Amino acid sequence: MTTKMELSQQERLARIQLNAFTYLRADWFYKLIEVFGSAENILKQTPMALAESKIISLDSAKNLLKEAKTLNPDEEIAKTEKVNGKILLLEDEDYPESLKTLKEPPLVLYIRGNFNPQAIKVAVVGTRKITPYGKRCADKISADLSCAGIVVVSGLARGIDSTAQKAAVALNKPTYSVVGTGIGRCYPAENRKLATEILDNGGAIISELPFDKPPLPFHFPRRNRIIAGLSMFTAVIEGEEKSGALITAKLALEQGKDVFAVPGPIDSLQSGGTNMLIRDGATPLFSGQDIIDAIPMEFQKNIVVEDSKSKEEKSINIANLSDIEKQTLELIASSELSLDDIVNKLNINVSEASTLLFNLEVKGILASKDGLYSKNKFFSY
Amino acid sequence: MISKIHCTAIKGIDGFLVSVETDVSAGLPTFSIVGLPDTEVKESKDRVASAIRNSGFSFPLKKITVNLSPAKIKKSGSHYDLAIAIGILSATNQLSENAKEKISTSVFVAELGLDGHIKPASGILPMLMAIKEGKGKQINSVFLSYDNLNEAIISKTQPFCPISLKDLVYFLEGNLTADKLLNTTAAISNEEEKLEVHGLDFSEVKGQSLAKRALEIAAAGSHNILLSGPPGTGKSMLAKRFNTILPPLTHDEALEITRVYSVCNLLGKTKFMDERPFRDPHHTISDIALVGGGSNPRPGEVTLAHNGVLFLDEFAEFSRASLEVLRQPMESFNVTISRAKESVNFPSKFTLIAAMNPCPCGHNGQAERMCRCTPAQINRYKGKISGPLLDRIDLAINLNPVKYGDWKKLSEGESSTNIKERVVKARDIQVERFKNSKTTANAFMTNKEMKQFCKLPDDAGSVLENAMRKLGLSARSLDKILKTARTIADLEGEPDIKSSHIIEVFQYRTMDRKGVAE
Ligand SMILES: [Zn+2]
Repeated sequence: MTTKMELSQQERLARIQLNAFTYLRADWFYKLIEVFGSAENILKQTPMALAESKIISLDSAKNLLKEAKTLNPDEEIAKTEKVNGKILLLEDEDYPESLKTLKEPPLVLYIRGNFNPQAIKVAVVGTRKITPYGKRCADKISADLSCAGIVVVSGLARGIDSTAQKAAVALNKPTYSVVGTGIGRCYPAENRKLATEILDNGGAIISELPFDKPPLPFHFPRRNRIIAGLSMFTAVIEGEEKSGALITAKLALEQGKDVFAVPGPIDSLQSGGTNMLIRDGATPLFSGQDIIDAIPMEFQKNIVVEDSKSKEEKSINIANLSDIEKQTLELIASSELSLDDIVNKLNINVSEASTLLFNLEVKGILASKDGLYSKNKFFSY
Repeated sequence: MISKIHCTAIKGIDGFLVSVETDVSAGLPTFSIVGLPDTEVKESKDRVASAIRNSGFSFPLKKITVNLSPAKIKKSGSHYDLAIAIGILSATNQLSENAKEKISTSVFVAELGLDGHIKPASGILPMLMAIKEGKGKQINSVFLSYDNLNEAIISKTQPFCPISLKDLVYFLEGNLTADKLLNTTAAISNEEEKLEVHGLDFSEVKGQSLAKRALEIAAAGSHNILLSGPPGTGKSMLAKRFNTILPPLTHDEALEITRVYSVCNLLGKTKFMDERPFRDPHHTISDIALVGGGSNPRPGEVTLAHNGVLFLDEFAEFSRASLEVLRQPMESFNVTISRAKESVNFPSKFTLIAAMNPCPCGHNGQAERMCRCTPAQINRYKGKISGPLLDRIDLAINLNPVKYGDWKKLSEGESSTNIKERVVKARDIQVERFKNSKTTANAFMTNKEMKQFCKLPDDAGSVLENAMRKLGLSARSLDKILKTARTIADLEGEPDIKSSHIIEVFQYRTMDRKGVAE
């Protein structure tokens, strides 16, 4: 479908303009190119003329031309360059190879930051309604992969996505976000800081949507095919049986890529999807090493042996903890306990429990949410 | 001929003396009341006319004008009946000179039945207190209904309580001895009888140590508190027991509350409000019912909770407007209701206990039940309790369900009496601390007082820095953290705030931790 050819500047602009119509599928587009010769020429047609080709309906043709005309391609380029971004067309040499083979490759990619097509990329995705367990696992697996020189690809969403990407950023490693908005926006807004940190740490923000496109519900499932498409593997940390993360996993399988899933408690809704994936043949994921081991020989040379500094930062020294602190950790194990639980089980008062939990929280060993304490980091004794 | 009778009026919860001037002159029979009466006062005419006739006197078929003075203050209530009736009898010379002499130093405050029966009125306590405080002229005798006797006794007034208008005139004419109208025994026979606080006790609440401790701190330092947790975690069970650990009312505080309840006609059988009120209005309450108002300004729930507790369950379900109007009374401890002609003040110094679910469906954060709310819905829900309102809430905690297995094992909780003992001790320390100030408790400390009484311990620097970095506490909440830490120190009898007190406060600052856990 794609042959190597140099596109004229005018043709580039015309294609950026046509990409404004977010329903424009690659197969339609290339059929239209066959009939009308160029994107430039498509833009000159009437809706009726486009519809007569029988490739798209009259309504779609009308919308295509209408949307295209609302977009100024020169401005798109200017805005993208202003944030040190670039716009890649499917025909471009540095357009990611792995996306070209998709059933519906993005016609245009907006990339902000530092995108390395050669890097080994693994998607780490999951639910927005993260549990403390999912948080620990996303943190640990993303850190394992990042330290091995693998780039974590995710969607900058709440929950698993942002936890995984934060873990990479915390180690100053690059991570790529494929977003459901234009690269000129940030959704959810609370992740604006994370987005900046991703760019500051050599990562990238990627989207097929026009620069200022707001987040619309249908953008997200489509965005998932790019996440899976860019990545060698997809790892699902936590996800309900019907969730976006499961869509990504399904798309990865369709693309012939391996899917990993973190096993979880069978009574946890957020592990419903991941457990189902494992039952259906996904590889159970216990640590980042499982993924590293699955990387084909020819790419193993790209894997770096974890540098000791990163390892140091990840691990928690529990040897220095007091007896009662160790006791508390044993009680909490992989569950969530309230201060009341600690008070009752250790037979101490509220004031003592406050100090105990505060110290563990400050050391980064425990995390609290809505009055419930859980282990903050993935660690074993 | 003109007569002038003393009566009283209410503005806010303050009483003052008014005079009822009656002019009966020749002309077409009319009966008008002037001097800013409201409709309730105007209805007096029919009752007075019937009462006079049915008591064996004659109602003049002449032009009757009643002026309530001073005319610039709005008059409301049914308690002008008796004064108007006496005024008419006096102006039509149906009373002897002797009786007229007597009524010139008397005040009459009662409603009349159509048969001339003397009936109770609301707001008697503040009205009598006004007379007592000498806000009026020389008053020797007070006439009111026997059913208002308790309030008279509270105000240390010895009133005359005639049964009917006929009896009253008999007495004024010297045909009935005073002792017939001075029966004071029955009405106050159970004044000393303490109402047990409805038999509630903290010992009935198993577990929830954090919540109980937070309520103890709230009681000790007069801090407002927000309880957040899924349904069934005992939020209202805890709130309803809060009064059992509050320090006893002082006589002046009790008197203030009794005045409020007298004005609202809510005293009922209670002779004296010697217990702190506990008000728990439903979230559908109107703004006016919540903070007071109306064309004839009436106290709202915030005033009925004065010197007591206002419990707002389902806090986030209250309308934005209601939450908005709560701010002023919480900031200034009184409500000002402005009307074209006047503005009225009601006191509103209460402890707020607010309770809410963690999200609209109630199950957010629970492992057993899935929350169906979107992050945007949850943000909107929590966002309702924002900024200025949250600034007035010192303690906020999350309650978690007690698991059934654990619940069986838990021993009975500490009794309210024990907790109250500590609260009272901590309050005594505060009374001593603020003896030269208007401040009554730690929650109300001024900046200057904070500088003086809330010195940071030497090792607080690293604790606070850690709290801000790891727990996300904002520097903005430091003042409230210190006030609460002061109360914890007082509960422990410590002269200085220690780091452990500050660390404990972090447990009660869930509102600051928002966003960090993500
Ligand atoms: Zn919910």
